[in-house]
This record gives sequence, C-alpha cells and structure tokens, in this order.
Amino acid sequence: MLSVNNIVKQYAEHRALDDVSLQVEQGKIFGLLGPNGAGKTSLIRIITQITAPDSGEVIFNGQRLNSNHIAQIGYLPEERGLYKKMEIGEQVLYLAKLKGLSTAEATKRVRYWFEKLEMGSWWNKKVEDLSKGMQQKVQFVATILHQPELIILDEPFSGFDPVNAEIIKNEILELNKQGATFIFSTHRMESVEELCDSIALIHRSKKILDGSVEDIKERYRNHTYWLEYDGAYDTNTSSEIFEILQQDHKQGKSVLKVQLREGKSANDMLASLLPLVNIQRLDEVIPTMNDIFIEQVKNKH
Amino acid sequence: MNKILLIIQREYLSRVKKKSFIVMTLLTPVIFATFYGIIIYFSVQGIKGSSSKIAVVNNNTTLTEKLVSTKNATYTYVNKSLPQMKADLATAGYDYVLYLPEFSLDAPSGVQLLGTKQAGLSLNNKVSDDIENAIRNQKLKASGLAQKDLDNLSSSVDIDMKKIGDTGKEEDSSAGASTIIAYVGGVLMFMFILLYGIQVMRGVIEEKTNRIIEVMISSVKPFQLMMGKIIGIALVGLTQFILWIVLTGIISTAVVKFYADKTNITQSSVSAALKKQNQNQMIKEATEKSPIGNIQKSLANLDIPKIITLFLFFFLGGYLFYSALYAAIGSAVDSETETQQFMFPVMMPLLLGYSLSLSVVTNDPYGNMAFWLSMIPFTSPIAMMVRLPYGVPDWQLALSMALLILGFIGTVWVASRIYRVGILMYGKKTSFKEMIKWFTYKN
Repeated sequence: MLSVNNIVKQYAEHRALDDVSLQVEQGKIFGLLGPNGAGKTSLIRIITQITAPDSGEVIFNGQRLNSNHIAQIGYLPEERGLYKKMEIGEQVLYLAKLKGLSTAEATKRVRYWFEKLEMGSWWNKKVEDLSKGMQQKVQFVATILHQPELIILDEPFSGFDPVNAEIIKNEILELNKQGATFIFSTHRMESVEELCDSIALIHRSKKILDGSVEDIKERYRNHTYWLEYDGAYDTNTSSEIFEILQQDHKQGKSVLKVQLREGKSANDMLASLLPLVNIQRLDEVIPTMNDIFIEQVKNKH
Repeated sequence: MNKILLIIQREYLSRVKKKSFIVMTLLTPVIFATFYGIIIYFSVQGIKGSSSKIAVVNNNTTLTEKLVSTKNATYTYVNKSLPQMKADLATAGYDYVLYLPEFSLDAPSGVQLLGTKQAGLSLNNKVSDDIENAIRNQKLKASGLAQKDLDNLSSSVDIDMKKIGDTGKEEDSSAGASTIIAYVGGVLMFMFILLYGIQVMRGVIEEKTNRIIEVMISSVKPFQLMMGKIIGIALVGLTQFILWIVLTGIISTAVVKFYADKTNITQSSVSAALKKQNQNQMIKEATEKSPIGNIQKSLANLDIPKIITLFLFFFLGGYLFYSALYAAIGSAVDSETETQQFMFPVMMPLLLGYSLSLSVVTNDPYGNMAFWLSMIPFTSPIAMMVRLPYGVPDWQLALSMALLILGFIGTVWVASRIYRVGILMYGKKTSFKEMIKWFTYKN
C-alpha cells in the first residue's frame, strides 16, 4: 500500500534519513521503531507531505505521493496540540473539514465518535478546561474522523492512563479490522508486540532491520530454553547436546537456562534428561522486541 | 482554495467573537462621539459667548480713553479703592476687578485682573487687547484723528482659502482641517497596521506553541495556512474599522441633533449652521475667534468618502505588507519573548514613516521627502494618509498604490518561504542568518 523508496533527507549539517526504504502492507499495523532522534519523525513528515525528501520517492496505492492523498492519511503527531480557546466540538469539526469532509458529514461523525468514546458532554468545553488525557482522546478522534486509509500515530499511548490506553487500543484494532492500515512510531516495545504485524527499525538515519514481527523473532531465536525439574542432575557434567547458561537450585527444584548446541533439538535434550530427572516445565526463551531493539542499537554503536 | 476559506473563517470568527473585540469596537465610537460632542459643545458655547462683568478701578491719569465694552466683557468704571472693591466683588455682582495703576502710555505695566475664579486665557487676551486698543486710540487721537476717523479705520478681512483643483475648479481648503485629518489618518493607519500585524504574529506563535501546527500542516499547505490567517485577521480589522465609522456616524449624528435642538439651530447639522451663521455679521466675531468653527466648516469641504476608501486600500496594502513579515517572525520563534530582535527591524520603518509623516509631511505635504515617503511601500500607507487631505495628484496615488501592491506580493513571497520552514522548527534560537538559509531551501 505504501512503499518508501530510497529516501534521503538532509538538514544543513545533519542527514536525517539515509537511503531508507520500507514497505507497508494494506490492512497491517506497521511499527516504526528507533531511539530518539533516529529519524522516525523525519520519515513521517515526508509521508504526511509536511516536508519533501531530497531524493527518493513515496508510492501510495500505486501512485507517487501527491496532495490528493492528504485526505486519505490521518496523522497524530507526537507533539500534538489544539487551539486552546476553541470549543472542542467546533475544533474537531474544523480539522475534519480541512481534510475535505462536508459540514453535515463531519458533524455526524464527530457526534458518533464523541458518543462512542464517552465524550458527549465535552462539545462546548474549551481545550484549556480538559486534562491532558482528555485532550489526547480529542486528538485521536480528529485523526481518524475522515476515515483515512492510512493512519499514522506517533507515540500514541504516551500520556494516556491505562484505562484510556486500553480504549484507544481497542479502537485501533477495530479500525484495523475494518481495513485501515496503521503506522506506529514508538520506542515502547510492549505495544509493538501487542499490536504490530511488522516493523522497521531505524537507527542513526538508517534502516537497520525490518520484516514481520514473527520473522524477526524467529531470526533472533537462539535455541535457548528454560528448564525446570526436580531430581538430582550433576550440572557440572558437560553435555554434547546443550550448554547451561544459568542455574538456580532451591529445595530440590532446579531451574536451568540452557542453549542447545549446533544441530541438536529440544527432543534430543529431553531424551537425554528424561532418564535422570523429573521434568516439570520447558519453555523456549523467545527474544522480546525490546531485547532485539536493544541488541541491535547497541551493536551499531 | 476551499481550505483557505475554512481557515479565513476560523481566524475571523474566533477573533470577532472575543469579548475584547466587541468591547473595543463598541467603546471606541462612543469615545470618538464624546470627543466630537465636546468640540461641538464648545463651539456652540463660543457662538453664544459668555460675558464677564468687570469692575474697573482706575488709578491711572494718563489713560483717558475708556475701555469699550463688548459682548464678551463689559467694563464698568467704579469709584472705589482696590481693597474695597476686592471685598465687595461678589455682592456688587461683578466677576472680576481690573486694576489700572499709574503707568506711562509708552510702557504700561502693573495691570491686574482679580477675581474669585481664575480668568481664562481668552478673557486675559481680550482684556489686554481692549487696553491696548484704548491706548492706541488715545495716541491716534492725540495725533489729530477724530473719533469718526477711528471708527472708519478698522475693517475686518475674512480670507477664504481655496485650492485650485485638477479640473481648475476652486475647492475650499483649510490647513487646520487638513492637518487634523492627516493626523487622524496617519495615527489610525499606524495603529491598525501595528495592532493587526502583531495579531498575525501572535496567531502564528500560538499555533507553534500549541503544537497544533503539525496537525494543520498535514492537512493544508503552509502557504494556505499563512494566507488564511493574514486574510482572516485583515477582515477582522476591516470589520472593526467599518463598524467604527458606522457607529461613530450614528452616534455623532445623534449628538449633533441633540445640540441642534437645544440651541434652536434649524439646520440639520451644526457645520451647515455654522456656515450660514458665518455670513451673519452679528456672530461673525465669535466664530472668527473660534478656530473650531472654521475647521468644522472646511471638514465639510474635504472629500471624506474618498479619504475613507483610500484609507481602506492603504490599510489593506500596508497591513498585508507588514503582516507577512510578522508571520515570518512568528514562525521563527518559539515564544513571544523571543521576538524582540526581529521586531526591531520591522518596527523601524513603520515608526520612521510614522514620525516623519507627522512632522515633515504635515509641514510640507508637496515636498520631496513627502513624495518619497509616500512611494516606498514601507512608509507609504502612513505617509499617503497624511498627504491625502492636502491633495495628492492622481498619478502619484496610482504609482504609490501599484508599488504597495508589488511590495506586499514581495513580502508575502519572502515570508512564506521562511514561514514554511520556521513553523516546524522547535527549540532552536533562530538568527537572521538561519532565516536567510531557510529562505533558500528548496522544498
């Protein structure tokens, strides 16, 4: 649906994006990850046509990105704000109309969303009278009101309390089910694992990793397991099948973190241990996105 | 285009609905009208004239000629000493005591005017005129002129100032009225450009500090947002100006009518009444003494609709010229406190135009300085408003208007290039060098 091809963006002394390419598939939730200052916001600003790249191109639904696409993109920036003195209802209407909705259609949709998110009584309130979390709800509604095909959310959950974060998350999933494509920009990995289908990791202006979340995790699996058992097993004897990375013994119960040796499977390990001990649990240690993120970023330093 | 309209609409409505706008718009005409009312009140008072009764204590033997009573001052010679008269002043029904001590006619001194109230400046002048007249008459008589000759001696000349218009037609003119209109026009123009230009800057800074700018810029082009804001605020200014004129007109008419009824002047306006009365010898003296009467008379002769129309044009032009620069400044800073260093170079030409217009141009409205000030777009809106009441050739007006239009197209272009970059820059102290760099950015 969206392909970013070889984008370069240079600011005076600083290269914000260096030959970045990525693909976002229709109907997926895409995570744009990276530490602060990596270039995420620069890339988003190019996709939202706030700035233009120095070279490279963005293809949206098969067409080179142009001003007709503005109405099909919804953008919730990280630095977000509203007109302080303006009434909420009026303000959301204004933003929706700027995206090309008619007054009648915009009014209908604003009412629908305000009702749905329990904001019905806020219509005549001014922004300065709302809490930060309430303001973010308003901004979220303003972002999705024109039913964009592509919704770009920059750190969408910062500032939300857990209850509202859950509400917003469910709305995102529902919109996604209805066909909307999302791009998340974040450095909070837990939300990535919960929501994203695929990711790209940007570090120091370059893309250093991308793919579907499952593939990446698969790639970073290193055949490590948690093994829990009771019974006597001499952990000092070395095994041809696995290597013990970590161990903990308590009241006859033992927990080991083991890594399989080259070419061995979990079944091999179990077969060798079954005669010796009473196995209670075997878990594969799957790297979290957080681990991958930290590892990748550290490696590049 | 539709988006610009939406932005204009928001910028306009959000300002017009503000309490401060409504209060300012309603209150100012009331202040104007009160001012106007006071002028009329005093000019009407001037016509009726207040008469002071003055008791003259004459200790002087050289001045034999008596002071002649007029409408404004009646002199009664009393045979009392000064201390006595001072004590009896109120009971005897006099307002003032005039004390004439012994003096030589060549160097009169020591004259005193005493009263329970402080004598006004005009009465003071009047009394000293009367004494000087008496002395002169006595000297003339001494040189052999008869009273009859003296009566024939004085004649009053009334100069009608006329300006020969382009068509060769004579137009009434008055330096006084032109100067007043010039000042009012210049000051209003300065105020309007400054007030509304700064509103544009504030609006831009507000969007930046609110961080709504990024949401906006993902929906509209920076140029659309800037122009929408500038035009929206221009309409607020026009609304205010037009409301001021209409409301001032209504209230002033009411005030004039009130005085007209009160003083039994049958003409619908006092200025017309004053014109008529000018021909009336009885009141001529009073009107002559009152410059306000003259000004009112020639106010009626100035082409007010033309001046207002041109004011609107030059306001719009000057405002667009400067507000684009203010928008660029607003985009370059994070808060209003940082605007100082950029404000100065923008304010300078405006202030310079303002002070030069009100000094040099009012003194010499046709001079070289006046010409150039009214051509250069930085100063032309104010300078032209100041020159206008004195009359400006059509070709100069047209040239100045064309230059102003070119000027604001230029500043809008320059400003929009700075603005599009500036609004997305946060947390940096911007310098002029940086702004020039932004200007040259390719988009």
